Amino acid sequence: MNAPARHELYVLEDGEKGVEVTEDTKIPNAATIKIVKQDHTLGNMLRAQLLSMPQVLFAGYKVPHPLHPYFLLKIQTDGTITPQAILEQACTKLIGTMAALETKFKREFSYKDVEGAVGGVGAGGVGGVGGPGADDPYGGGAGRWGRERDYLDF
Amino acid sequence: MQTQEDLEPTVRIRELKKDRVNFVLGNVDLAFANSLRRVVMADIPTVAIDMVEIEVNTTVLPDEFIAHRLGMVPLNSSNCEEAIKYTRDCTCLAGCPYCSLMLHLNVACHDDNTMDVTSDHLDLVPFPTDPEQQNPEPGEELAQRGELFGQPVGKHEPGVPPVLICKIRKGQELKMKCTAKKGIAKEHAKWSPCSAVSFEYDPHNKLRHTTHWYEKSIKEEWPLSENALEEEPPREDEAFDFNAKPNKFYFEVETDGSLGPQEVVMRGLAELQTKLANLILGLKKQPDGEILANDPQVNGHVPAAEPSWAGGGQQSAWGAGASTGGWPTTSRGNASQWGSGSDGGATSGWARSGSDGGATSGWGSGSATAAATTTGWASPSRQTNGWNS
Ligand SMILES: [Zn+2]
Repeated sequence: MNAPARHELYVLEDGEKGVEVTEDTKIPNAATIKIVKQDHTLGNMLRAQLLSMPQVLFAGYKVPHPLHPYFLLKIQTDGTITPQAILEQACTKLIGTMAALETKFKREFSYKDVEGAVGGVGAGGVGGVGGPGADDPYGGGAGRWGRERDYLDF
Repeated sequence: MQTQEDLEPTVRIRELKKDRVNFVLGNVDLAFANSLRRVVMADIPTVAIDMVEIEVNTTVLPDEFIAHRLGMVPLNSSNCEEAIKYTRDCTCLAGCPYCSLMLHLNVACHDDNTMDVTSDHLDLVPFPTDPEQQNPEPGEELAQRGELFGQPVGKHEPGVPPVLICKIRKGQELKMKCTAKKGIAKEHAKWSPCSAVSFEYDPHNKLRHTTHWYEKSIKEEWPLSENALEEEPPREDEAFDFNAKPNKFYFEVETDGSLGPQEVVMRGLAELQTKLANLILGLKKQPDGEILANDPQVNGHVPAAEPSWAGGGQQSAWGAGASTGGWPTTSRGNASQWGSGSDGGATSGWARSGSDGGATSGWGSGSATAAATTTGWASPSRQTNGWNS
């Protein structure tokens, strides 16, 4: 009824900023970065990557409240690079690892034949479904279903 | 410690079946492996029934009971990324052929025997269009669909038992219209392409990440898993290495049939990259403060002064197409390029191109492996290399 849309937990709203950097006023070369609409999936991976980088003195993350869809990432560097820059490097490195893995997976998958017959589930065939206006015995009855309504409203 | 990061990650597929893949991931961090696990379980879009309009229900089960069951029925979702929009991103008012699917269920029992209503009774019909409403801008979604897209998994496939929805007796009837939508499992578990993901590391518990409860002997009371054969058992007198880190991860990704295991894993990796790329984009925007979302520079990407962002003459590097702004979630559709030379002088470009053949997907600064590979788990080659999902 008045529950917020569930996708608000993982989709940035119009004009909402995904990243907010707050530089630390008391610790040199440190910043707290708020990453909105993301969770442990990204937070923990970034933390681990940052800790493996020699310029990083401290890296840690937390999800302050499970119902608040953001996490905070604290980074302190040795001063040769800013926390923002090292974070960007960490992301770049992770993407590199991911892409390398993608290549290897592709190769592995191409070597492996699927055991057991594969049904015709492939994305191969095109068309067939969804031409509007075909013989629909029920007419356009779906119109009265607003986006926010679901069966729970009954 | 440092060495692990510098090694290339490895992967070995031990078993690939129609609905599952078992693989061993090596030379990656625990956090990285766990993120892959999380992302395949919760962040990959599929379609599932989301709204049910009940016309007749004279069965013994209440409406919401049946509606809930219908939601859980796995529907074929191959290429969901491009084949359907999220309703929230669509221009329509309450569902249209580009963001919704319609399935009808209409069963009555006239027989003396009890009758099973199953997922085989769900009929995919063309989504009704509202004549009042001007058809929303026709998308390319329909052309991206396989012929089975939106059908209940295994419908009329020999050897695949259908999902039982309800049992009805003589005189009872069930008639309803179901609207299926695209979504992800973070919203509701029915959208997860995975029915189970098993994840194990350190089968001998050498790292002591877990503590085994026992009465007399750990060895007798905690049988080793099959994965223990892959690793050397600890010697009796081996000292505890508190610097050791896990390095080998045993995965089994089992899908519910809405997507194939290969598509799940590859989409998972792509999704993680998208998340990271979005973060980089967010960081890039940061210093200038208020860059408006509709600033052409931002949407059409990068300031000209920034040489490291490879636009490559392609149409749109940073997803102008995505309504949320930023990295296109449907990145395989429009040729999107992302590159950054920020570390090292070498140019590294991460590119994925879709529709028009070849699909070079390479990344990495001159790394021979990455550069040499032209492949695609992107569209066309998928069909040729036995990509089925
Ligand atoms: Zn729509």
